[in-house]
Amino acid sequence: MSSLHEALLAAHLKNDREALVRLYERAADTSDDKDAKGFYLTHAYIFALEAGLPIADELRTRLVHMGREVD
Amino acid sequence: MTSDLSAVRRKLNVANGLPNAHYTDPETIAEENEAVLADGWAGLAVAADVPEPGDAKPLTFLGEPLLLLRDRNGIVRVFQNICRHRGMILVEEPRKIEGVLRCPYHSWCYSLDGKLVATPHVGGPGQNAHEDVDKNMLGLLELRSHIWRDVVFVNLSGTADAFEEVHADLIARWAEFDKPLYHGGEDSKFKLEVNTNWKLAVENYCESYHLPWVHPGLNSYSRLEDHYNIEVSEQYSGQGTLVYRQLKGENDQVFPDFEDLSDKWDTAAEYITVYPNVLLGVHRDHAFAIVLEPVSHTKTVEHVHFYYAVENSDPDLRADNAAQWKTVFEEDIFVVEGMQRGRAARGFDGGRFSPVMDGPTHCFHDWIASKIISKRQALAAE
Repeated sequence: MSSLHEALLAAHLKNDREALVRLYERAADTSDDKDAKGFYLTHAYIFALEAGLPIADELRTRLVHMGREVD
Repeated sequence: MTSDLSAVRRKLNVANGLPNAHYTDPETIAEENEAVLADGWAGLAVAADVPEPGDAKPLTFLGEPLLLLRDRNGIVRVFQNICRHRGMILVEEPRKIEGVLRCPYHSWCYSLDGKLVATPHVGGPGQNAHEDVDKNMLGLLELRSHIWRDVVFVNLSGTADAFEEVHADLIARWAEFDKPLYHGGEDSKFKLEVNTNWKLAVENYCESYHLPWVHPGLNSYSRLEDHYNIEVSEQYSGQGTLVYRQLKGENDQVFPDFEDLSDKWDTAAEYITVYPNVLLGVHRDHAFAIVLEPVSHTKTVEHVHFYYAVENSDPDLRADNAAQWKTVFEEDIFVVEGMQRGRAARGFDGGRFSPVMDGPTHCFHDWIASKIISKRQALAAE
């Protein structure tokens, strides 16, 4: 997780939103904690939304299924 | 203390100009700004400032943070440049919005048509909705806006009559020029920062009286007697010329004309102020728009833009045209700055007009005074 943490910091520093989406999604997928998963997935979704990336729809659907976003 | 506008409202031959306070006193100008700029249709920018979908440009008008934006459908919109959450500024610099507008503070996100689409963690960590936060009620605050001749006009108060009604007469006057306008691009815009109240730029623009003295280069072909006043009471004013000559390039090339103009425009051109703060010019082969940005009561930025009848006009000729006009507009700076400094003279009574030459300026002052008086009456009746 520490290398992921460093990669996230680097992506934030560069405002590399594609990397932020990828890394936050990975953080969500590798977390066992439901709340942490929702937190990370939310960040992946927001940066995808901001960048206009098609994956935003898929991330949103996942959040809706988790009860963390409404249609 | 409110200013006395009775002398301004007299007939031209016995009227005075606006009192000094309308150029020097922040309190008087604050009242005027509400009546004249906020309650009406003020020029804010040009649509060419945001040429492509997703283009966003933050602007400040009367101290308010605004956001000019072209949405995904190509519609130009003007929003308050603030998040509905904590009032944070959304966009700091002109840029392209690729997806949504994300507030840099807590990342609430808005689509380009202003809808609130995401409120991350609003219901707690990882909970992105809350029953008490209705996204449908929290879209960006959009201003009434209207585009005419590529100028984006806004009505800050939201109370003005429709633009087409307010300016019906002027729109009809220039109906022949209701043709596609092509902004010349980077070589066809510039801005002038001037130490003057914006109204003095209008006043100077409206009249031809000063031309032979301030623009001696025009005398060779554009004499005072070749100009005429344009005055439509309480609507607009300006000046026209009967001897417009087209700019020619090295090989005598000229800009293509706007199509289907009547013969009058072979040699005529008109320069009109769309009250309050937009200066427009039309010619057979090009047009321009100057949006006056009232930065403060003593500072104005003139945003100048040139337009042509075709998309791919001659770039060298465009550059020459912009340079020629820039020279003319720069020649006016010492005048509008000098008049501004002159307004500090306590004995100045607003000045006496030439009963023949100053009608367009008086028309503008009379309109300003009428708006202020109407506003005072409306407030007194509340």
